[in-house]
Amino acid sequence: MVRLITHNLLACHAKGCTSNNFPLQFQDAAIELRDAEFNADFLRGFLPRIEWTALVGAARQLGDTSLPAEQPEMLDDEFLQKLHHVLLEVHVEEGAMVCPNCKHVYPISNGIPNMLLAEHEIG
Amino acid sequence: MPTQYLFVFAQVHDEFRIPELLSVAELYGFDIKFSEDPKERDTSRPFMILELKSEEHARLLAGRCILIKYVCEFYARGTSYEEMHERNRLRKPQWEKYIADTSFKFMVTAFNHTIPQRRQRDVVEGFAYMDFQGKIDMKNPEITLACFEEYPDRRGTIREKIEGDGEFDEVWFGRLIDVELARPLAKKFDVKKRAYFGNTSMEAEMSLLMANQTLASPGKLVYDPFIGTGSMAYTTAYFGAFVFGSDIDGRQMRGKAKPPGIIRAAAQYGVANRIMDLCTFDVTQNPWRCGELFDAIVTDPPYGVRAGAKRLGRKNQRQPKEGPPPVHVERPDDQQYIPPTKPYELSELARDLILLARYMLKPRGRLVFFLPTVTEEYEEIDVQTMLCEGMEIVANSLQNFGSWGRRLITVRKITTEKYPPPTFDPAHAVTENADVHVPAHKDFREKYFQGFKKNGSIADSSAQEV
Ligand SMILES: C[S@@+](CC[C@H](N)C(=O)[O-])C[C@H]1O[C@@H](n2cnc3c(N)ncnc32)[C@H](O)[C@@H]1O
Ligand SMILES: [Zn+2]
Repeated sequence: MVRLITHNLLACHAKGCTSNNFPLQFQDAAIELRDAEFNADFLRGFLPRIEWTALVGAARQLGDTSLPAEQPEMLDDEFLQKLHHVLLEVHVEEGAMVCPNCKHVYPISNGIPNMLLAEHEIG
Repeated sequence: MPTQYLFVFAQVHDEFRIPELLSVAELYGFDIKFSEDPKERDTSRPFMILELKSEEHARLLAGRCILIKYVCEFYARGTSYEEMHERNRLRKPQWEKYIADTSFKFMVTAFNHTIPQRRQRDVVEGFAYMDFQGKIDMKNPEITLACFEEYPDRRGTIREKIEGDGEFDEVWFGRLIDVELARPLAKKFDVKKRAYFGNTSMEAEMSLLMANQTLASPGKLVYDPFIGTGSMAYTTAYFGAFVFGSDIDGRQMRGKAKPPGIIRAAAQYGVANRIMDLCTFDVTQNPWRCGELFDAIVTDPPYGVRAGAKRLGRKNQRQPKEGPPPVHVERPDDQQYIPPTKPYELSELARDLILLARYMLKPRGRLVFFLPTVTEEYEEIDVQTMLCEGMEIVANSLQNFGSWGRRLITVRKITTEKYPPPTFDPAHAVTENADVHVPAHKDFREKYFQGFKKNGSIADSSAQEV
């Protein structure tokens, strides 16, 4: 926690921040790797929701280069294993996520990101 | 050929029984045939006969439904032993395969009554005509024949234990099917024995019933947007799903020690790696990048009695100060900045939740949530009017606490159309529009604290508050 699947689903939601507000950039990320259960159907079902470029970028930022820059057409087992690892087994425990647009800092502590907005940031 | 099975249910949460059966059958993809006669579907009685295509289906139900206590292959019933035995003789084709050399035992028991030992023996002897040749084995029989006497429910009346012995309404008989029951899970998830819980934790049995309403199973993703201390996350994850949780108050999810409380409790149940992630945010100001992510949303929304319903913003709409938030001293729970919150009225919250679910659920996904209601004022239309296009009620089960209660509402998304995320705009609130039906759960918090007094507007009676 924060896993990259989660990171791929969160965008900056500060008032007025509606473009270039995704993906959030990791800052001072402390990473832990933990095994997760492999479920091929889950991965196949979820893939259409994933922003591929953002996923590859986030993984690389954290030092994992196992995913190809282009999303492959063939979802073979070898690919699904890699995807599984990147989406579900890399956890950012400490650090922050920063909005590329408005620079809002969302701190991560004990694996829980604080996505609350301040008073002047709500719509 | 469908076979009749005798199901014996726990005498609690009556209104949850049929929805739970239907959910589990839907999850595994088979049909249950209920009796056409409404009297036979009376859930205040512990017994119910269901027609199923195979014994495997009976096993699947017992393995998931929290309210099932026993399952039998049904042989006969009667208002007297004579009547029951007469019918059981006609059922011989069903049990004759056990005559020759199957070891067996009898189980004779009663509901709302205790049968004295002596008569239990008489009851067993009454089955002598079945002429079972196998040996009686009390410890490890190949089959158990179960006989249940059903007495009227006399809750609250005092009487001798065995008074009225034999004056049962009905007697039921069948072959007990050896199944792994889900019911003991209610003990496993006991809140008191949990590594982390709080005063908002949902009790174990209800958390399990809720998880069943979500159709949780491996490979699914379920979301609790008011996760608190995570009670439903554990049961839902236990049934195989991944769970995502968020709450406006990080302290609810973390507790004091590390790792976060929800992770500690999940680890106790062996499901820590199925907690996808936990996030701190106000669901009305949420960071979701897109919709159609979840197979189900399960939640106990705040209704202001213990865990107040809040949303970011100030009560009296005073202009927020410009500039960055004030610097706060770092708090032990590492939430450096706690923004101000304002109350969130229940009927408004319920409608927002359904709109959010329509946006966030995949087609066919389910929203399962509790709606507190004022017992005397509740009308079915209260629930109908909070729906929006594309969302349909699957079940509505009351847990009655007297003057108030809460309804577990299960809603299904029946549309594949794309809808925008909800605006969470209080301007759409029910109050603002005089033509709109005002549900009994509106201003639930105020009504609760006034003890649900009838008559008199809320403004009047609040004056009497001490
Ligand atoms: C009834 S409790 C949920 C309890 C939970 N089922 C459990 O087992 O502990 C409601 C939760 O909603 C949270 N809450 C209140 N308003 C909220 C909002 N606007 N957004 C997100 N969470 C909110 C509260 O902090 C509280 O933890
Ligand atoms: Zn931003």
